[in-house]
Amino acid sequence: KILTFEGCSCFRQRLVLSTLSVKRVKIPNIRSKDDNLGLRDFEVSFIRLLDKHECNVQRSIGYYLEALLMLAPFVKTPLRAALKGVTNDPTDPSVDLLKVTAIPLMKKFGIDGDGLEIKVLKRGMAPAGGGEVLFTCPVRRSMKPVQLTEPGKIKRIRGTAFSVRVSPQMANRIVDSARSILNKFIPDIYIYTDHMKGASSGKSPGFGLTLVAETVNGTFLGAEVMSTPQGQGDPVLPEDLGRNCAKLLLEEIYRGGCVDSTNQSLALLYMTLGQQDVSKSLLGPLSPYT
Amino acid sequence: MEKKEQKRHQHKHSGPKAQKKNRKKEQGTEQVQDERKRNPRAFSVQSAVRMAKTFHRTQDIKTKKHHIPLVDRTPLEPPPVVVVVIGPPKVGKSTLIRCLIKNYTRQKLSDICGPVTIVSGKKRRLTLIECNNDINSMIDLAKVADLVLMLIDASFGFEMETFEFLNICQVHGFPRVMGVLTHLDTFKNNKTLSKTKKRLKHRFWTEVYQGAKLFYLSGMVYGEYQTQEVKNLGRFISVMKFRPLVWRTSHPYVVADRMEDLTDPEAIRLNPKCDRTVSLYGYLRGTFLKNKCQVHIPGVGDFSVADVSFLPDPCPLPEVIKKRALNVKERLLYAPLAGVGGLVYDKDAVYIDMPSGHKCLFQEEVRPTTELVQSLIGTQATLDAKMAASKVSLFTGTAALTPEEVKQNPMESREWDENAQRERRRAVFADEDEKDDDEEEESDEEEEEEEEDEEDEDEEGLTKKVDEKAVETAAPPVKKQKIEEPMEMPAFADSDDELEKSEGEESEEEEGDEENEEMEEGEPAKRRSGPDSGLCSEEDDEDEEEDSDMDEDGDGIVKSKMSFKHPEEEKIDTEDAEMAYETAGALRWKEDLAQKASEAYLRHQLAAPNLRKLVYGTVAEEEEDSNDEEELGGLFKVSRPERSKKVRADAMDCSRFHPDSSHDWDQEEVRSSIRDCFVTGKWEEDKDAATLLKENDELYGDFEDLETGEVHKAKTGNKDKHYHVIFQKNKRLEKKRRLKERFDAQYDDGDATYFDDLKDEMQKQAELNRQEFEDVDDEVRVQYEGFRPGMYVRVEIPALPCEFVTNFDPHYPIVLGGLGPSEGNVGYLQMRLKKHRWHSRILKTRDPLILSLGWRRFQTIPLYYIEDHNGRHRLLKYTPEHMHCGATIWGPITPQGTGFLAVQTVGGIKANFRIAATGVVLDLDKSVTIVKKLKLIGYPYKIFKNTCFIQVGSPAESGVSP
Repeated sequence: KILTFEGCSCFRQRLVLSTLSVKRVKIPNIRSKDDNLGLRDFEVSFIRLLDKHECNVQRSIGYYLEALLMLAPFVKTPLRAALKGVTNDPTDPSVDLLKVTAIPLMKKFGIDGDGLEIKVLKRGMAPAGGGEVLFTCPVRRSMKPVQLTEPGKIKRIRGTAFSVRVSPQMANRIVDSARSILNKFIPDIYIYTDHMKGASSGKSPGFGLTLVAETVNGTFLGAEVMSTPQGQGDPVLPEDLGRNCAKLLLEEIYRGGCVDSTNQSLALLYMTLGQQDVSKSLLGPLSPYT
Repeated sequence: MEKKEQKRHQHKHSGPKAQKKNRKKEQGTEQVQDERKRNPRAFSVQSAVRMAKTFHRTQDIKTKKHHIPLVDRTPLEPPPVVVVVIGPPKVGKSTLIRCLIKNYTRQKLSDICGPVTIVSGKKRRLTLIECNNDINSMIDLAKVADLVLMLIDASFGFEMETFEFLNICQVHGFPRVMGVLTHLDTFKNNKTLSKTKKRLKHRFWTEVYQGAKLFYLSGMVYGEYQTQEVKNLGRFISVMKFRPLVWRTSHPYVVADRMEDLTDPEAIRLNPKCDRTVSLYGYLRGTFLKNKCQVHIPGVGDFSVADVSFLPDPCPLPEVIKKRALNVKERLLYAPLAGVGGLVYDKDAVYIDMPSGHKCLFQEEVRPTTELVQSLIGTQATLDAKMAASKVSLFTGTAALTPEEVKQNPMESREWDENAQRERRRAVFADEDEKDDDEEEESDEEEEEEEEDEEDEDEEGLTKKVDEKAVETAAPPVKKQKIEEPMEMPAFADSDDELEKSEGEESEEEEGDEENEEMEEGEPAKRRSGPDSGLCSEEDDEDEEEDSDMDEDGDGIVKSKMSFKHPEEEKIDTEDAEMAYETAGALRWKEDLAQKASEAYLRHQLAAPNLRKLVYGTVAEEEEDSNDEEELGGLFKVSRPERSKKVRADAMDCSRFHPDSSHDWDQEEVRSSIRDCFVTGKWEEDKDAATLLKENDELYGDFEDLETGEVHKAKTGNKDKHYHVIFQKNKRLEKKRRLKERFDAQYDDGDATYFDDLKDEMQKQAELNRQEFEDVDDEVRVQYEGFRPGMYVRVEIPALPCEFVTNFDPHYPIVLGGLGPSEGNVGYLQMRLKKHRWHSRILKTRDPLILSLGWRRFQTIPLYYIEDHNGRHRLLKYTPEHMHCGATIWGPITPQGTGFLAVQTVGGIKANFRIAATGVVLDLDKSVTIVKKLKLIGYPYKIFKNTCFIQVGSPAESGVSP
């Protein structure tokens, strides 16, 4: 019995789910109409990742990490993966965002303890990469059923503004602009500035902002914006970036739900793979990925 | 003799004695309390070590009582308890079952054959199964038994079977075991009797647990056990509690109590050895069963279920629980294999229990009563009905389609189902139906017509066997149908939706194709439906004819089909519905904004595909009816994602979501729309800090109470006084609840342990599980959660080997064990194994062994090994005598921690103990290295200082066997 899918959309999800359900899948016709037929490098490297860890720089580590988050609690031995590559880029959810939104979500499903951690050892921005992330995850025999139906009120907003290989002032400028918008809603805002230097700053310059809103019930809604990679497209002003990010966060808050739109699929997967007890969660409008 | 009045005792009221007594009386109570004070040395700590020891001991005893709390998953109406009666032959098993049945139901069942289900109490049913003396049945029944009645012939003592069965039980999760001693009347001497009883009891206790219940059935009266003793046994059975076993709570299983062969009789006639389609019936136990899952039937093999449906309970519990005992009507008995069960209706047939005990089978009449059909029935009625029945079971996805429904609009149901199938396929493959456009449809249409023409011709060619009259009558409707075919089109066209049309066509096309294939095959034997293609196509034609009639009547079908396509709020996942509420709720305060938002949301919803259908497959019919009148405009939007999906097939695989409907957050209005999402915003009534504060004041300050009351009075007019009263009442209740919570938190949680907390949590979860689908209709519920335990299900299994039917013996249990997602695969298993200490011989590597693991019994070739100190696995030629060793087998994947037992042969009864080994699955590693010491023989060919180089010949000549 082989399930057949066409095209390369949802490539990761298909592979992850096939791994989890021990069912064979066949994916023909990948980019059949494209000039560049077949699998791209990052997909090949994703398949490699499922055996073993070098992330291609075409996509950020977030791309690989998302799949690992889905798999990690179900593997045999506690996972400890050091991923090298691009930590932040504009297409994929960055490592920072996953760290502040996905990890608390996993904790709600009973995957907790010392083991669960995403640690940014080195930052690497888009074109060249050079970042390093350590992801550790314990193994759980079963998931706890969750009742995520009350998002609750937002009590604080936290964030990280980072800058590598640019002036450290950039991060401060981002923070100021973001605060200018968010201060109208809530006073409890703290945005860390994270300026990495030297060996831990990767190979390319860049800056970005990750914001997360925490509610009284422990729901985390996140948003982030990255600077455009060097040599691709127009450069952005840090002020604009900060403002855009704040607006994205507001948008995310507007969409509501107990799980933010990046992690919807993760939450749903955990819910289905849990025990046979009823889990409930309230989601905002589903994102196309889920 | 006259009784002498005795002098009563005179209490002293004065004097030293009285004084002493008085003093004692006064101090008496104090003295008890002051024991510690009075004699402190007796209570002082003599030894800290001993103190610690005693403390430890009490704690140990306390914690020993705890079990890991499990979520209570027993359904509201649990399945009957499986009571297995086991024992060596001639020990009185059948007699005991008969007596129990008589005790519970006041009925006599002469022939116990297969499981017998009875209502034993207001809340409990029992399924009694007799286990014959055969290791296969013993293994299968040990896996499903909730309670084992172990019959022991006291005049003989324990027999090997008893111990074998206990060991089997131990491996597969221990069910409750109750011993029953019979043949006690053979003892003439009372002393030997009591001695034997005691001896057997203690032996039984060592085997089961200390204090296990052992019953004595002392003697027979008119060939039955004594009523009082049976009654006592019955009472014990009805109050027994069961602890869930891991394997069983994670796997669904059915103990089949009825079997019907659905295979086409003509196919059997042509090839008696052809594979059979069989439907098995029984109560579902364990956990939820999904439709189309894999099951294992021990002794037969793995099969994927074609269809599961639930039937009305043939042996229901009394509906209203009254205080009195059950009356005779409620004491039901159901044993179809033994030929008891009264009148039973189901999809395939109607069964009437005849007094002779034979089953009588009346085929139901499915066809409408037209002359044509009557004539057909006149010719080959049963076959006809059979065909119709088989068709129903082939196509329907749900059980609800009663024969009447089929009669009314068979096309609709089928249409719907094909729809559903297609729908599901769509959920899996991103883009399947891109290719249908109108031209193709039309060509299909034409093709179909051609096919039908062909069919007609074929029909005429093939219907020689059938009555001439029947053929004549059959011909006209076909023509009529052909005329009507084009008329069907406009009905679809009216809907003005390409998708609709294409689907309709597609389903028809499929049908056509099927028929076409059949025609091409040309061999009537291989046809699914009937001996005669003529008949078959007539059937179809009739169906279609009816369908077209329906279309003429009004576009009922079209409507209902369209309703499938409506992803409306109500149908969408509850989460989304809730979400809708939430957003609406949050935005209500700003009217126009909320309006806009909800509109936008609706648009979103329309654009999103029906989630529930995607996830859970078909949507039950009832819901559609309710949604029938929804606007048609939505259709257009639904089809759009379908088309865009195709484009998206090669889309970027990225979970980052860029919201498209960006609001302008610089505007004050937009900004204020989410203001309430923050702690600084406005809270809901009951959580607002201000109200909370006020409430607290109300609770604790009595003078405030008056004031607030006044305030309220001033606010409300007379008009809504009633409303106000209710409001206040609610508020008061709410207040009470909160107070109680606070009280509980203050006083109960003080000594609450982790265990209690865990227990509470589980309780809550169980409650939640129960509530979630409580008021949902069974039809819908089945799609959400699968068939729940306690339901009486009918499981249809295709392609069973014919021996299953031909050698069917109701005395042997048929168990359908559901398999987990990966348990159908075969791979390498590592297990820890120990030769059973009672088995006389040690086991040899590579000697075939029959394992019972999970639901299965299978033969495999184990490799025994032992782990050395350096972590290497060294192959063993024989198992150690009294030690565990490792074993690797090639076998079905089974979760770690599952126990297994091994026997060397299942046939025949040997004198000694048959269970060769027991153990547990440790790992499912694909790559395991087992090393073996080799002796290589070679010759030195060079000596260099202290080194000798040796030439080794080929492995064959040096004595290495692979």
